[in-house]
Formats: sequence, C-alpha cells, structure tokens
Amino acid sequence: MELIFLLLQQTAIIVAIAYLFSKSPLMRYFGDGRLTTRDKIALYLIFTTFSILGTYFGLPVQGAIANTRAIGAVLAGLVGGPVLGVAVGVSAGIHRFFLGGFTAFSCGISTVFEGLLGGLVHLYFIRQRKHEYVYSPMVTFATAFCAEIGQMVIILLLARPFEDALGLVKVIALPMITANAVGATLFMSMVRDQKRTKDRVGAVFSAKALDVANRTLGILSRGFNQQTATQLADVLHKETGVGMVAITDREKILATSGLGADHHLPGGPIMSSLTKRAISEDSVVFADGKNLHFTCPVDASCPLGSVLIVPLRIDRDVIGTIELFEPKDKLFLKINRTFGEGLTTLYSHQLLRLQYEEQKTLLMRSELKLMQAQVNPHFLFNTLNTIVAVVRKDADRARQLLIRLSSFLRTNLKRTKETVRLDEELDHIGDYLEIEKARFADRLQVIIDVDDELSYLQIPIFTLQPLIENAIKHGISEMLNGGRISVKGYRHGDSARIVVEDNAGTYTEIGSAEGLGMTLVDKRLKNLFGSSYGVAVDCQPGEYTRIIVSLPMVEEKQP
Amino acid sequence: MIRSIIVDDELHGREELAVLLEETGKFTILDSCVNAFDALKSIRKYRPQLLFLDIEMPVVGGFELLAMIDEEIMPYVVFVTAYDEYALQAFEEKTLDYLLKPIDLKRLDKMVDKVISAIKTDSRPFIPDGLLSRVPCYIGTTVKMVPSAEIDHVKTKIGGVYITTGEGSFFTDLTLKLLEERTSLVRCHKQYLIHPDQIDRIRPLENGGAEITTRGHHAVPVSRRYYRALKNQLGL
Repeated sequence: MELIFLLLQQTAIIVAIAYLFSKSPLMRYFGDGRLTTRDKIALYLIFTTFSILGTYFGLPVQGAIANTRAIGAVLAGLVGGPVLGVAVGVSAGIHRFFLGGFTAFSCGISTVFEGLLGGLVHLYFIRQRKHEYVYSPMVTFATAFCAEIGQMVIILLLARPFEDALGLVKVIALPMITANAVGATLFMSMVRDQKRTKDRVGAVFSAKALDVANRTLGILSRGFNQQTATQLADVLHKETGVGMVAITDREKILATSGLGADHHLPGGPIMSSLTKRAISEDSVVFADGKNLHFTCPVDASCPLGSVLIVPLRIDRDVIGTIELFEPKDKLFLKINRTFGEGLTTLYSHQLLRLQYEEQKTLLMRSELKLMQAQVNPHFLFNTLNTIVAVVRKDADRARQLLIRLSSFLRTNLKRTKETVRLDEELDHIGDYLEIEKARFADRLQVIIDVDDELSYLQIPIFTLQPLIENAIKHGISEMLNGGRISVKGYRHGDSARIVVEDNAGTYTEIGSAEGLGMTLVDKRLKNLFGSSYGVAVDCQPGEYTRIIVSLPMVEEKQP
Repeated sequence: MIRSIIVDDELHGREELAVLLEETGKFTILDSCVNAFDALKSIRKYRPQLLFLDIEMPVVGGFELLAMIDEEIMPYVVFVTAYDEYALQAFEEKTLDYLLKPIDLKRLDKMVDKVISAIKTDSRPFIPDGLLSRVPCYIGTTVKMVPSAEIDHVKTKIGGVYITTGEGSFFTDLTLKLLEERTSLVRCHKQYLIHPDQIDRIRPLENGGAEITTRGHHAVPVSRRYYRALKNQLGL
C-alpha cells in the first residue's frame, strides 16, 4: 500500500512537469489536425524524455524498479500512432535495459509493447473516424490500465527465476497499474484542455473578425473616399483597440483615429517613408518597434512606435493603405497583425467588386442612351413625312400630330429617372401610337386596355416603348393589309402582367435587332425586380406575337 | 406626258408624291399601288414608262419587286425613300434616280430632267441581275412566298403558271421565262421548268425526249428540243 502512495507521488511530479509543458510553446506540436513529420519528431523527443524520467523517478523494489515509464510510451502511441508509440517504447526500453536487474529485458520489451498498444488504439479510432476519442481521458485510462497489466504478464513470462518474478509482480502490480493509468489520464486531460482553450480563443477571434468585416464592408460599399475612410478608421480603432488607425490613398492621409490623430491630420500628404515604401513596392510593411521603429515624421513627441502598413488594392493597382499603429510602450499583438492583413485583403476584394458593379451600371446607362438614340431617325423621318402630307389636306390634324410629336420627344429626351409610373409610360406610348396610326392610316388599329390598379406601378423607363416599336417595325410594317396592336395590363396572382401583342406573328429569334432590344428590357427588369420577372415571348407564326412583361404587383402606398 | 405608276405602302406618301408630280405637269399617274403585288399587276396592265418605287414595303420590298418584272416591260425606276442609307445602294443598282422624303422641289425638277433625257435617248432601263430567292404565289387572295430552293418544278397550264413544291402546287403570276432567267430552274419542255437538284431519274423515251422523275415523285416531261441542252447543263 505504501508503494502506491510513493509511486503516486512520483506520478505527481511527472504530472506537474506535464502541466508546465502544456503551458509551453511546445504544445503547438500537438497540431490542429494532421501531424507533420516535424511535429512527430518533436513529440518523439518529448515523450521519450517523459518516459525516461519515469524510469529515473522509479523506486527500487526487490532488484527491480517500480516506475511510471509507461505514461510516455502509451501517450506517444495514442497521440501519434503505432510508429511514434513503438519509437518511444524502444528508446525508453533500451534505456531501461541498460540499467540492469533481473527484469531488465522483460521491462524493456514491455515498454515497446505499451507504445504499440497506444498506437493500435490510436489507429482504431482514426479508422473509425472518431479522432476526438484519441484525446479522451477515459480511453487513455483504459489503455494505460491494459498496458500495465500487459507489462506484468510479460515480466511473468520472460523474467527468470519465475519465483522472483512472481514475488515482484505481487508487490508492484497494483501500484504501477494505478499510478500509470492515473498519470497518463491526468496528462491527457491537460493536453485536451489546452487544445480546447486554443480553439475557443480562435473562435472568439473569428467571430470578432467577421463582425468587424461585416460592419466595415457596408461602409466601403459606398466607395473609397474621405468620408467612408473616416468611418472605417473609427470602427477599426474601436474594435482592434490599437493605438491609432490611419487610412491613406496614394498621396495623402484620408482619415486617422486614435492616439496621434491630433497631428496626423486627414488631408495631409504622406510623409512616412514606410508608407511610401508599402505603396511603391506594393508590399506589407511591418515595423515591430524593436528591430524596425516607426518614427513620427511630424512630431518628435508622438507616442507611436510601431506600425503595420497594408496596401489596399483594386485588381493590381495600389490605391492606398490601411495602417495600424501602437504606442512605444505597447507590444504590437500578432493577432492585430493577422487581423489588419486579413481585413485589408477583404477590402480589396470588396473594392474590386464595387468597381465591377459601377462599370456594369455605366454600361447599362450607355446601353440605355443607345436605345434612346436608336429611336429617333426612322421614326422621326416617317413622322415628318406623314405631317408634310397631312398639312396639305388637313392643317388641324397636322397641328395635333406636331403636338403629339413634341410631347413624345420631350418625354424621350428628358428622362433622367430610372423608373416611371406605368400610367405615365402609357401616355408616352400613346403619343407614339397616335403618330404611327396617322402614318399607317387605316392599316393600323390600336387597343389599349390596362387595369387601373396597375397604373401606379413603377417600371423601368423604356420598357414598353421598344416592345411597341418592334411590333410596328417588324410586325405591322410587314403586313399587306394592315394589322392590330394591343397593350393589355392585368394582375396575375402576385405579379402584374403587361402584354404587347400584334397579329403579324413575324417574331424571329436570336440575333435579330428586335431580340437585342428585348434582351435589354428583360435584363433591366431582372436587375430591378429579380430573376423571376422579365420578358417572355409567345409567337404563333402568321397569327400573333405576344410579348409578356411580368413585374411584381405592389400595393399602392397611401400618401 | 410621262406615263407613271407610284408604289408606296403609306397612303400619305402616295398622295403627296401624286400631288407634286401633277403640279409639274409632266406626268400622268396611271395608278397608285400599296404593295409590290399590286404593283406587279398594275405594271402588266398599264405598261408604264416610269415607276416611283418605295424601298421599304411589307413582304416584298422595292429591290425584290424589280427582280419580278419581265424584261420587255421593265420601266425606268426612280426610288423614293425616307432613309438615305438606301440612297447609295440605289445608285449602285444604277436605277435612274432617287428622291428623299420629304421631297425637295428643286431635287424633283432635276429628276424630271433626268427622266426626260433618258426617255429621249431611249437608254435601256436597268435590269437587275441578281437571282430571285423567293417567288410570290397566290392561294386565293393570300400571298405565299415560296423560296426558290424549295421548288420541285414549274408548269404552264391554261389557267397560268403553277409552282410545285413538297407542300403542293401554287399559282404564280410570274412568267415561265422570268423564272427561267431569274432562278436556277432549267427549261426542259416548252411548258416546264425543272429544279436540277430535284432530279432523281431521267428515263430516255423512243421519241428522242425523256421523262424525269423528281425527288418529290413527280413525272416531268423532257422534250426532244431541250433534252440535249439539259444533258449538257447537267454534265451528262
């Protein structure tokens, strides 16, 4: 019984060392997932040391040594697998062998066995895809327990004379099994706790990073300028807690927030050579305050001493920098460094996306301009010709047509808003159709029938006009005996439908000019309302062409 | 007085031009036509000296109409268009002249001089040399445009000229001679044209002629007079 306590005392020392170890940087060799060869070599050295220590701390009993050597071997096997387990077992076993005694050989062999057993358990759980069990204290306890029983059996089988071996085992079996199992379990639970703490810190860091990213990306989506830079600097300063945050473009400081903000003023030119270097070399510059100092170029009494400068890019062009400063009396945390670099990369992506969006909008605008320009020449000439002829016969009618034309042109040329109320658009195409009716004389019939409840709906400008122009140009104009155009609007479930129909049925697919105009209309509707809305075509050759525009049906806002 | 026909699908265009032409006192307007088909009939009926022709018209445009007019009755042509993108093309087609709508009176005078001098010198009217890619046929009053490539053969009967395709037989008011000149159809008989690509078999007959079976399983006679020429044409 006394031996149990003595041995547990030794175990306590091992565990104490293990505790110190778990707080040391050596812990990183336990890795986050797969162990690299380097990790394995480090773990081999660590566990071999523990195992040999276990032998040295052992107590001489009847010409043998009661010890805690098994802890190192079993753990090595559990953590690193059979190869590592056996390697530690062989090393500690050989060491034990050379210490002599009648159990020298059997103890050496059994250490190898213990490492192997730990390794097999490791292998079993990996194969079962239950990696976390490897670090489970219960599993460790059971493994060490069995390993020690195994050692006793080996001693009985190999050590001679058998009577001495039996006598020895009777004395040391219980103490060694208990001490090793308890020791290994405590060791493993410390390793596990340490790993968990690390994970939790990582999770907190990630959550914070995502939160900051979320809040700042919104700011940047309004562009990169002095105003957004100021807001960005404030948020970053508050969230990271660094001494000062500065944001620059290529030439000047856009915003500062924090300690040195009183003399690092927005609008001032970039003076620091470090910033200039970061911009010209397009590289991250880190002055840690020990090897490389930040020296304020403005004020000698400036408290700032270290800085991280990360270039901000759009595509490949550096457009500015984001800088995190710490005062001279504070260490620049590695976490803030990672943070600063990561966020800036994110911002660069955001800015690139923003630029892309801007270009897309620009393109759309110019397409719209093009469409506006496309309207004019043919229509205008046709109309003028009609009026020239009408003026001779019916001056009043000619006057009416000129007024219609004037109204149509005014609306067409003075459109600045992106959307227009449906009833206004109907007035607009009403002008257009009235003029076309005059041109075609009795060859064109027009029916407009749109439910009143649709009249306040907002639709993108130039939605109906191109469709009606198509119907005239490619439909009615191709009919020998004239034709009919109808514009109908009604509610269809949750959406509104506007159907432009002609009875020519001459619609041709892709590649045609009418296809292009329609694609544009469809694209703009989808952009504005989402992909479930847009333009659909139904054509029965020689019978009709039906262009169906669907929009969301929104209830009228009460004024 | 120059005997003229106006072809324009727009009422106002026809009326305006008619007024302007009458004011010059040099034209007799025989007819005003609203499309190419009307124009074709009217040209055969009145044999005008001059055609005022709109370019953009439904189904068959101005250029295509010219390809449907028999050479003997081809009038001089003045194109009338609202868009000058066609003007250049009209020049290349070597027609007599063109007018832009709305019509400028000075320009109209120049046109009149040109027309009068052309008639005096009796210069030949322009004959289009392109092939006719579609042939207008009639089913009652409905017009059906038959692509030339789809024609199996053409036959003259007492009622007129009939075009046979995979879909059936259709009446056309174009002449056999015009079709022979302006399409890739080949004469094989006084009353027949055959599409060379549609010939399946040729069976010689004792009288020196032959009988063609077309891909569409129609029997078409080949007279002795055209047999040799046909064989030469087919490289037989």
